Amino acid sequence: MNEPSLPPPVPAQPNGENEMIDLARDLTVMNAVEFVLRNPRQMIARIAGPRGTWTSFVLAFIAGVSAVVYGLVVGSFSGGSQWWAAPAKIVGGMALSGLICLPSLYIFACLGGSRAKPSQVFGVLLAMLAIANLLLIGFAPVAWIFSQSTDSATCVGFFHITFWVIALLFGCRFIATALRALGSHSTSLVGLWTLLFLFVTLQMTTTLRPIVGTSPQLLSEEKVFFLNYWFQGAPNKLEHAK
Amino acid sequence: MNESRIRFSHWLRGDGAELKSELVVVSLTSLIRHLAAIVIGCGLFGFVMGVWRSPLQGAYTAVKLPAILVLTALGNTLINGMFAPLLGVELNLKKTFAAVLASYSIASLILAAFAPLIGFLVWNLPPLSTVNSANRAHHALLLVLVIAIAFAGTAANRRLLTLIRQFSPDDGSALRLLWSWLTINFLLGSQLSWILRPFIGSPQLVVQFFRSDALHGNFYATLAHTLKGFFDF
Repeated sequence: MNEPSLPPPVPAQPNGENEMIDLARDLTVMNAVEFVLRNPRQMIARIAGPRGTWTSFVLAFIAGVSAVVYGLVVGSFSGGSQWWAAPAKIVGGMALSGLICLPSLYIFACLGGSRAKPSQVFGVLLAMLAIANLLLIGFAPVAWIFSQSTDSATCVGFFHITFWVIALLFGCRFIATALRALGSHSTSLVGLWTLLFLFVTLQMTTTLRPIVGTSPQLLSEEKVFFLNYWFQGAPNKLEHAK
Repeated sequence: MNESRIRFSHWLRGDGAELKSELVVVSLTSLIRHLAAIVIGCGLFGFVMGVWRSPLQGAYTAVKLPAILVLTALGNTLINGMFAPLLGVELNLKKTFAAVLASYSIASLILAAFAPLIGFLVWNLPPLSTVNSANRAHHALLLVLVIAIAFAGTAANRRLLTLIRQFSPDDGSALRLLWSWLTINFLLGSQLSWILRPFIGSPQLVVQFFRSDALHGNFYATLAHTLKGFFDF
């Protein structure tokens, strides 16, 4: 007589295998937000894991949507065409800045001893942008209050740039953690790269101007360095732009 | 392709054991890979360097910049190869050439990574037609280029030193060999740069592949003349 066949007991899996199964699952947007803010190591493991491409896609989505939301807050200062122009310029400028600085980030990672692949460095960059833009959403209520109660475009622009610098520093802290986890032993190069990225994004705000305030043209044709613009040109041109 | 990337990442990371393994067998393929990295990397950097003056100048510089590195490596192959055994470092002629070429290819890859940044800077520089700001823009571009090239050169030579140490009896020999190579390469490289000028092109001068007086004078005589004028002696 045959005994009823019982399903075999589930073997106890070592932690590593459980983690691999976990890493193979698709990342959701909510999980990704939680990981980048609370559990960066989990996010790094996912970027370097078997579903790295999907993870990068989710991170790009988070960064893009967050930038659009913050862009709407920026555009609310002037209204009109800036409702769509400011978010478009912020998303476009951020993507272009990321692409301009990606090769140097990979080279700096390698020079620091990291064994990260270019695709993993791309994922790390997207995670940094996701963190920075999520933080900007956190700053959005404060930025919106200042936008609505201030007439000076220069002053509002100064607040936006301050929020961006703070958000970027947190994002770059993630890059330092990620590259260390991927074998890098030098953080000074990440510091140098952060400075480069900051310069590129600040110059991008000047290249794509006006992002705050209005102008008869969608993009200014005049070429100017961002420090010159902010300390000499901007106050005269944008003071009554609202 | 994948193998090529792994090898370049060895050089970029600068791990001594990995670098040593790169020179155990010097194949024609590895030399061609380094040459390709120089031509593409330095060419890209050269293009963004000259494109502010004009696209034609960009194309000229994209040819001239890699040419200087390759010609310097070739021109100094013999003397560099002789310095190594003289200073007690176990590198033969072939390995010496490969090591120098590899350091140039690493510098080229770093410069290639900076090319988008320089391109973005050039995009934001005032055009040549704005005479007043063109000279300032020219100087600003020069300054940024010097910083980028200095960074790439320093990083590449640090890796070269790490590699030489793997074949040296002591640190002193490795340092002496590196400085010997740097000196002789600088001597030839600077003169080649002088002959192949202009790279950016002064805003006031026409775009040319060679200056009409390319083979008249030399870098050091001009430097001495400039210093003489500067200090008025």
